[in-house]
Amino acid sequence: MIFEQLSGNLIQGLVLGAVYGMATMGLSLIFGVLKVVNVGHGACIMVGAYTALFMFKQFGLSPLFAVPVAMIIGMTLGLIFYYSAIRRLLKGPELATLLATFSFGVILEETIKQLFTSEVVGYNWDLPKFDIGITVLSLSKILAAVGSILVALLLYLWFNKTRAGMAMRSVVEDDDGARVCGVNVDWEYALSFSLGIGLTVTSGVLLTMFIPVGINPYMGGPYTLKAFVIAVLGGLASPYGAFFGGVVFGLVENGSYTLFAMIPGVEPFAMTRFFSFVMLLVILLIRPTGILKAK
Amino acid sequence: MKNTEKYLPVIPVLVAYAALLAYGVLIPGKWQIASQLAFYCALGQAFNLFMGMTGYVDFGYVAFLGVGSYGMALPIYHLSDKGLGLWLIVIGIFLAAVFSFILSLAVGAVALRLRGAYFAIATIGVNEGFRFLIEGARIWNGSEGLLFFLHMRTAFGKQTATAISNYWADGMVFAVAIVAAIMTLIYMRNKVGYALTALREDEDAAKVMGINVTKYKITAFITSAVLAGILGATAWSLKYSYVYPSDVFEIHYTVEAIINVLLGGAGTLLGPLVGGIIYGVSKYFLAIILPGFQLLIFAPVIIAIIVLFPEGTVGMLKKKVIGTPLEKYII
Amino acid sequence: MSLLRCENVTKRFGGLVAVDDVTFEIKHGEIMAIVGPNGAGKTTMFNLINGVFPADEGKIWFEDMDVTDFPAYKRAHLGMGRTFQIPRPFSSATVQENIAIGAMFGASGSETSTDMAMEMADHYIDLIGLKEHRDKPAGGLTPIEKKLVEIARALAMKPKLLLMDEAMAGMNPKDIDEMVVFIKHIRDTEGIAIVAMVEHIMRAVAGLAERVIVMHQGALLVDEPTQKALTDPRVIEVYLGKPPEDEHA
Repeated sequence: MIFEQLSGNLIQGLVLGAVYGMATMGLSLIFGVLKVVNVGHGACIMVGAYTALFMFKQFGLSPLFAVPVAMIIGMTLGLIFYYSAIRRLLKGPELATLLATFSFGVILEETIKQLFTSEVVGYNWDLPKFDIGITVLSLSKILAAVGSILVALLLYLWFNKTRAGMAMRSVVEDDDGARVCGVNVDWEYALSFSLGIGLTVTSGVLLTMFIPVGINPYMGGPYTLKAFVIAVLGGLASPYGAFFGGVVFGLVENGSYTLFAMIPGVEPFAMTRFFSFVMLLVILLIRPTGILKAK
Repeated sequence: MKNTEKYLPVIPVLVAYAALLAYGVLIPGKWQIASQLAFYCALGQAFNLFMGMTGYVDFGYVAFLGVGSYGMALPIYHLSDKGLGLWLIVIGIFLAAVFSFILSLAVGAVALRLRGAYFAIATIGVNEGFRFLIEGARIWNGSEGLLFFLHMRTAFGKQTATAISNYWADGMVFAVAIVAAIMTLIYMRNKVGYALTALREDEDAAKVMGINVTKYKITAFITSAVLAGILGATAWSLKYSYVYPSDVFEIHYTVEAIINVLLGGAGTLLGPLVGGIIYGVSKYFLAIILPGFQLLIFAPVIIAIIVLFPEGTVGMLKKKVIGTPLEKYII
Repeated sequence: MSLLRCENVTKRFGGLVAVDDVTFEIKHGEIMAIVGPNGAGKTTMFNLINGVFPADEGKIWFEDMDVTDFPAYKRAHLGMGRTFQIPRPFSSATVQENIAIGAMFGASGSETSTDMAMEMADHYIDLIGLKEHRDKPAGGLTPIEKKLVEIARALAMKPKLLLMDEAMAGMNPKDIDEMVVFIKHIRDTEGIAIVAMVEHIMRAVAGLAERVIVMHQGALLVDEPTQKALTDPRVIEVYLGKPPEDEHA
């Protein structure tokens, strides 16, 4: 009975983990290329969630259509923010970019609050559900996971098979070296930042396909925390590390939820969130450069 | 520099707080706004002691105010009928300091071994993590929080309880602000301050100079946290007679702390005071003109300051007064 | 008794062996130069000596104390001072404060109050001749002035060993000669051993060092008195490549 419940939850965790992984790739991309930590990460996810919600409620469009729209919105926001602030702060102390991305998140939250109020909302995308014996998986969850894997794959191909992708990778390795080889490093920075925010906003759409409720302007906080746990699991600067970190985190999160639920007098939902904070500290304590990293 | 000369900058700080206090006491109906401004100044002074002096950002700073407010709430809630009288407040302040000390030591021991970005990442979940621990494990009444309005009356009597909430609590906020400012100046004028300046500028070079950077970072972190804990105990618990985990771990207080420090000038003594007053006054008027828009206006202001005036108001003033007699007073 | 002894010290970065099984000694009050082309492992060697990062293998002894596992700040307390290739003064602090920080936290730091440190700083400011800049933030100085402030800051630490990373890079011959005189003066008055790292200014090496260590691709190639080292065919090979006849051989 308990084993069945646990394995059912772990399957859910695996599917959710793929989405988590994709939701962290943008964070890792930005850190890898620019060495900037996007503290407003969760707020970008929130913008994606509202994109899906708005298109669904206003035009009756399936969240799948929200994916490209979210990418465009995210990339635009990223470009604007890069050129108005980040670019001038890259040479300054770390404090500057940390505070700037943090404020960027607050701006997104407060803007959405003004546009949509701070009411907690959700949408209901009625797709068939599959009962696989130990758990029930809806088609929308499967689509979210497949979509995440696809995006991750596309990013991989882009990095490894296209000129533009390779130029960006050269900046990750050594920005001075890339500069000498004729790579326009400033443009690579802008592009990476914009792509990173684009990916993150897109992941917000995919996340609502998994969890279509609880959407509100301040929903991003827990996702920022989770994303950092995932990112440090995968080594912070590696988008693929982040993807696999996401899968691991999805499993751990759902597994620990099941276990906490068995302890009497404990709120499993809140404890799971506390647990992700403890995980973050423990990983940083043991190995700040990432546990899943090969080297 | 002679010792007396070293500590001259305390004069403008004391004058400013005295003026703010006089404004609240002497002009009828202004006590609340004066004490609210003092809260922002105290929050900034305490936060600056760590962020301003080390260049590290603690995004979970509000957690220290949060555990501090529990430190005050718990003895009042549980011991109100024991006839301890005003000793309860002393116990509360002591517990607030102990709680924030323990939390900051635990977080600092892990996070302060890490550099800039990793430190910030480690702190980002502290407030939420602690809130969910209290709610999840149902510690200290869990998500229902502690409501101790009646306990205050039992413990201190109706009149005293009202006076504590309306005046004493605010008075203690002034005290925290002044103590935090004096601590900052003492640090600045001693080895701690020079060590912090060095590590803020270049941590590797500081190590090579013989500076045990972890020790000094933890010193600043704990001092700043304990002041925050006492601030939470007085400005929240004593003043409002309740503590809800969803309120006292609310991240926007961290945002306010950052704004206060940046507006005034990170790492300066007068900065948080000036920043707290600018922020408090503009927030007050914004609440009248554009209710609900405060954060939407202040967040871009943070970015604008970082990009355009990273030294803040006092930082710029400091440069202006070099070579004038004022030089000795403004740091 | 030697002042510093490195025994079979090795450091790897990933697959690259930056310092490869290096062994040497430095005596009290000696001036030694570490020479080698770019990428020879000189800076890594410095970082290993003063503990910026730990060695993968080997031991480091300072006055017969095993300091292999000591963090940088503890080695500074024992008497190691250091300057950087690109000067790294604490920009927002004044020249006087920069130097005083060295005095406050260096080898005699525990007995030095902040006031004493400021007085000591004034002494070193006179020594480097930057009196008029005493109260200016160090960030606003010229590169050569920054370099001097850094040297003064390291001297104020009262070290027994001073590691100077490319102290003369980018200077013209006249400045180099002055710097050589200045470094020798420091050694004679303060009695400290000096290890100067030099990429390829042989003029400076010849005038300054009593002994030369040549590094090449992470390994120690030559450890000889200066004149002998500079004429050693292996050293010439490192800098100029093999003579043509060898290629045919």
